[in-house]
Amino acid sequence: MTRSDDALLHAVADVYAEWDPAPADLVDGVLARLAVRDLEAEFELFTLVQNVDTGIGTRHGEAAETSASVALEFAGSTYRVLVRITDLGEGDRRLDGWVVPAFSMRVFLGPPGDALAHTRQSAYADREGRFEFPAPMHGEVRLWLLPQVASGDDGPPPFVTPPFLI
Amino acid sequence: MATHGAPGGPTSSALYDAATDAFRRWRTGEDAALDELVRVMSPVLWHVVRATGLDREATEDVVQNTWLTLVRSGDSVRDAQAITRWLCTAARREAWRVSKAATRTRPVEDDVLAARMPTESSPESEVVTLDDKAVLWAAMTRLPERCQRLLRIVAWEPRPDYSSVADTLGMPIGSIGPTRRRCLDKLRIELGGAA
Repeated sequence: MTRSDDALLHAVADVYAEWDPAPADLVDGVLARLAVRDLEAEFELFTLVQNVDTGIGTRHGEAAETSASVALEFAGSTYRVLVRITDLGEGDRRLDGWVVPAFSMRVFLGPPGDALAHTRQSAYADREGRFEFPAPMHGEVRLWLLPQVASGDDGPPPFVTPPFLI
Repeated sequence: MATHGAPGGPTSSALYDAATDAFRRWRTGEDAALDELVRVMSPVLWHVVRATGLDREATEDVVQNTWLTLVRSGDSVRDAQAITRWLCTAARREAWRVSKAATRTRPVEDDVLAARMPTESSPESEVVTLDDKAVLWAAMTRLPERCQRLLRIVAWEPRPDYSSVADTLGMPIGSIGPTRRRCLDKLRIELGGAA
């Protein structure tokens, strides 16, 4: 059987996609770079106002082995963001947070500095202002928060937190 | 089956249409459409740039820089239907600039083909169907490097600009079409009549 050129090239495309695939985070890396392009200077730097180590679950006598958490509160001129890092055990962590007052945001998590911008993870804060990174990277990180506004509308400025540790 | 998003290539006008549509909507003020365009076209740019011989790390940088270039100079793309060609050409140009600057290029087979190649291809395995990707891959690796690169480009890039492809491969533009044909014929021979 002779395949058409198109069918053969389609198979070639598939085989390259399998054997030398684009990195899984290629698209996220591009979006992160685009999101913060030329904005670094405009980012408002949050300040850390509170850092609380807490145990969750122990209050009700539940098993405490997977429940240590850290809460951070950052404040800017118009918004606050509350960040909770929960230790799920075995090295796994979860990061979730709230933007107050609630606003739809694009949220990036990554190491400080532009050089590693392509490694940033991204999430969205929903209309209630909640966002979550179920498997955040470890180490020193910052959060970048980009308000999602319809084009033409004025929104609050983008924010960046100081570096903190996960 | 397209397990890594819709592949490009001449059989995938859907990809071309999706990119053109997303670009048009982005230019009319729909910011989120840029995300769509990035999702659709980044894998294409990956393969287009890898075919120039850059390593994976450098390729990732080139893909990111290509998008930054688009965002900074998107106004220069007057015709939405030219967006896929504009992106692929810009990516190749950036790849060329990077490879000149850093001589980071290595033939693709050094780091990928050799490691992934099935150890032996027995006569029996050459008559199995194209669905066996290992067989197709092994056949690809037996082609001249120029054929590998050209076929990867034309397989992934929607409606490629032959003059830009010719620059990348160091070939006269008029020989791209005939070379494409010869490379496909060679691939069929390597597949032992299975295709």
